[in-house]
Amino acid sequence: MSDVFDKCRSWKDYRIAKATGLYPYFRSIEASHGATEVEIEGRRVIMVGSNNYLGLSADPRVKEAAIKAVEKFGTTCSGSRLLNGTLALHEELEVRLARFLNRESALVISTGFQTNLALSSILGRHDIVFSDRQNHASLVDGIRLGFATERKFRHNDLDHLEQLLAAAEPDSAKLIVTDGVFSMEGDLCNLPRIVELAKKYNARVMTDDAHSMGVLGEKGRGVPEYFGLEAETDLVMGTFSKSFASLGGVLAGPFEVINYIRHKARSVIFSASMTPASIAAALKSLEIIEAEPERRARLLDIAEKMHNGFRAMGFDTGVSVTPVVPVHIGDQVKCFRFWKALHEAGVFANPVIPPAVEAGHALIRTSYMATHTDAQLDRVLDTFETIGRRLGVIPETRPTVYEPVKIARPGTGVRSNRASEKWAAGSAGQLAAKGLTLEQLSRMSSREMAGKLFDAVEQLTWRAANLQPADLRKLGGASMRLWEKRGELPGLLLEKGANFFMRNGHDQNNSQAERN
Amino acid sequence: MALPAESSTAAALPAIPPDVTVTPVRSSADKTAFIRMVYPLYRGDPNWVPPLEMERKDFLDPRKNAFLEFGEVELFLARRGGEVVGRIAAVKDPHYNEFHGTNDGFFGLFECVNDAGVARALFDAAAQWLRAQGFVNVLGPMNFSTNHEVGLLVDGFSTPAAIMTTYNPPYYGALIEACGFTKAKDLFSFELSASAEPPEKVVRIAEKMRQREGITVRCVNLKDFPAEVVRLKEIYNSAWEKNWGFVPMTDREFDHLARDMKQVVRPELVLIAEVKGEPVAFSITLPDANEALKAANGRLTSYGLPIGLVKLLLASRKIRRLRLVTLGIKEGYRRRGIDAILYLDTLRTARRLGYEGGEISWTLEDNHLVNRAIESMGGKRSKTHRVYQRPL
Repeated sequence: MSDVFDKCRSWKDYRIAKATGLYPYFRSIEASHGATEVEIEGRRVIMVGSNNYLGLSADPRVKEAAIKAVEKFGTTCSGSRLLNGTLALHEELEVRLARFLNRESALVISTGFQTNLALSSILGRHDIVFSDRQNHASLVDGIRLGFATERKFRHNDLDHLEQLLAAAEPDSAKLIVTDGVFSMEGDLCNLPRIVELAKKYNARVMTDDAHSMGVLGEKGRGVPEYFGLEAETDLVMGTFSKSFASLGGVLAGPFEVINYIRHKARSVIFSASMTPASIAAALKSLEIIEAEPERRARLLDIAEKMHNGFRAMGFDTGVSVTPVVPVHIGDQVKCFRFWKALHEAGVFANPVIPPAVEAGHALIRTSYMATHTDAQLDRVLDTFETIGRRLGVIPETRPTVYEPVKIARPGTGVRSNRASEKWAAGSAGQLAAKGLTLEQLSRMSSREMAGKLFDAVEQLTWRAANLQPADLRKLGGASMRLWEKRGELPGLLLEKGANFFMRNGHDQNNSQAERN
Repeated sequence: MALPAESSTAAALPAIPPDVTVTPVRSSADKTAFIRMVYPLYRGDPNWVPPLEMERKDFLDPRKNAFLEFGEVELFLARRGGEVVGRIAAVKDPHYNEFHGTNDGFFGLFECVNDAGVARALFDAAAQWLRAQGFVNVLGPMNFSTNHEVGLLVDGFSTPAAIMTTYNPPYYGALIEACGFTKAKDLFSFELSASAEPPEKVVRIAEKMRQREGITVRCVNLKDFPAEVVRLKEIYNSAWEKNWGFVPMTDREFDHLARDMKQVVRPELVLIAEVKGEPVAFSITLPDANEALKAANGRLTSYGLPIGLVKLLLASRKIRRLRLVTLGIKEGYRRRGIDAILYLDTLRTARRLGYEGGEISWTLEDNHLVNRAIESMGGKRSKTHRVYQRPL
């Protein structure tokens, strides 16, 4: 007899991560010191893992507005927008946002995730949605809930998109959906080309500007403004949990469309509306975003400083051109170890592992606030350098040259950091070729295995026989360095062991898939 | 009779057997096959000295071989039905071309079964790679430059190869010539017995020069190794400057070589001649470690046990032969008998240390001054190595 709970019982990953002390998720923050520093497990750490880009969550004006709203309207609306949960504040925010975004109409929804789910209400049976493979999960689910056919194109591969568009039924209604800024790797969508294709194939365009609203563009209206393509982008979506220091989301576009969604989307009409505090905070933040463009400028300066700071040390920050600064680690267990070491050294960032990124491309995602001080940022850089060297992610000495990153400042039109070829080149296939797997071992005859072993002994003997006094002196230094790294030994063993088993686990899965 | 070179070679080239494939070495398994193919090829040849597998591996490792820091090498393997039947390395030495103002590529590490078709397939592959690099001539064998092992043995197959010299089956010359190569230069080796008294006249003149020019000879001071290496390097690069085929060694190359030699060197046999305290010439004579290497048969361990290493160490105590590897005199100090003094002192030391004799190699066939000097000491020509060339 099987039990639906079986899978929960047999799920080992959590227990392994917990037992090895590498479990990085659901960390509870006990106190916040102006958002840029927080206390976790009694330790004060610099927060470079939040999306509070403009640092407004700690702004006294925003806090004050939220408190006032609570005092005036209470703590919740207790019901849905449709029936009893609409306050004058909701409508004020919608009007202000529509004006801010240059749209006919805007709709605020309780969370960003639900905002994307609301998209499902306009996806009819004969429609086709074209979606970037790295789109946020909420978009993926939003499309899944709709009735339309989904066509996924390879991340930012517009040739692929064109192929799919060309292959689609010409008469069917089409929508292209993409993140504006991709949340994990920090690159931008190729909106100019998407718009071009949309015109050619008669499709609508929607961008998810969760990570760009308040950050990119002269006025902070996100990716469409940054590319000067607001009129060509039919629907824009944004969230309040990032630059807007609140919780909730907004969908803006033509009145008829927004009105339809307002009445049809189940994530809107069957969900309690945004709380008064959330709305008031978002409203105040919007005011500040409009009035204080210097925050955006500071944020982009910080992004530039961090990107280039990391690169100067030999880190790879991938294709990002935004304040989302991913630091490439590669191996996923090493990534956890890196994250843990960072945490212990007083820096809070996020480990991102497959399936959120491609296998072998695990990374530490850092993101910055306009309110970070230079001293904090320098400490973050120093910490990364020390740990990067200790874990062998970067060389012992800094590289002599590095390719500086061009940040997506207003008017530059930069989309992605092309200099980072390494990132794109290292495909999963190449990685799989490295290292011995159980399967290979099992295919080897005992003779071959013995041969490998004897070769290793031969090599060791040769090295030992070749040792000279000069080497021995060097050996002293090397063993000192080794001794300094002794704390990393359990971690390293863990990493190697975990990789070995994961590799073999994957092999089994693959062969199983082949059988099926 | 003069035939147009083009047609004569093209007509004469042996046909490539259809079942032979030549592929560049890509995987580490290929590299291992490249290194190991010689052991079965030479099995039973008493004069062949099996190189240590690991030493060869390091030689092909860009992190271990200083030549590969600037030079490029593409290795090829010829296979017939899965079995390795030949190998070759195509060599790009930018320093050589810079120094001589030429546009030449090299081949090296050539090994082949006795089948001209296989040889041709190998040379075709190497030539194609070299042509792609833009070279117009190919010379060889060079492993990988004159600072390492050079030449194909064409005469003197009856004695074992001395340390850091090449050895090959007698049929290689015919294979290479069948592929359109002609002689570029011969390199001579001389045999000298330690028991033979040097001619009295030579001794007298040498001693007189020693007095008159104030030449003092000392042996190398291993305790001051790095500084000594710097001194030797300076003499080396100025002494060979005008020699055929010479390429100045980079600092790293010299250091590597010095390091390797230090393993086998006897400091008494590395002599530095000084005039008024300034080092002007040196000679390096090494115990012929090949005698010991033979005992190891290519590996320091078998079945994980250091059998080869023990054999090697035991045999290395019984080495009775030497090779005078190099003797160089700075410009401006030649024709003063310094070479004779170094030869004599080396000979005396060798005798004192109980060596039977050894080899002086190599010298250029047209370096009459040196060749005559060696012969006047009682040296007998024992081996000839040949460097071949062919337009690409």
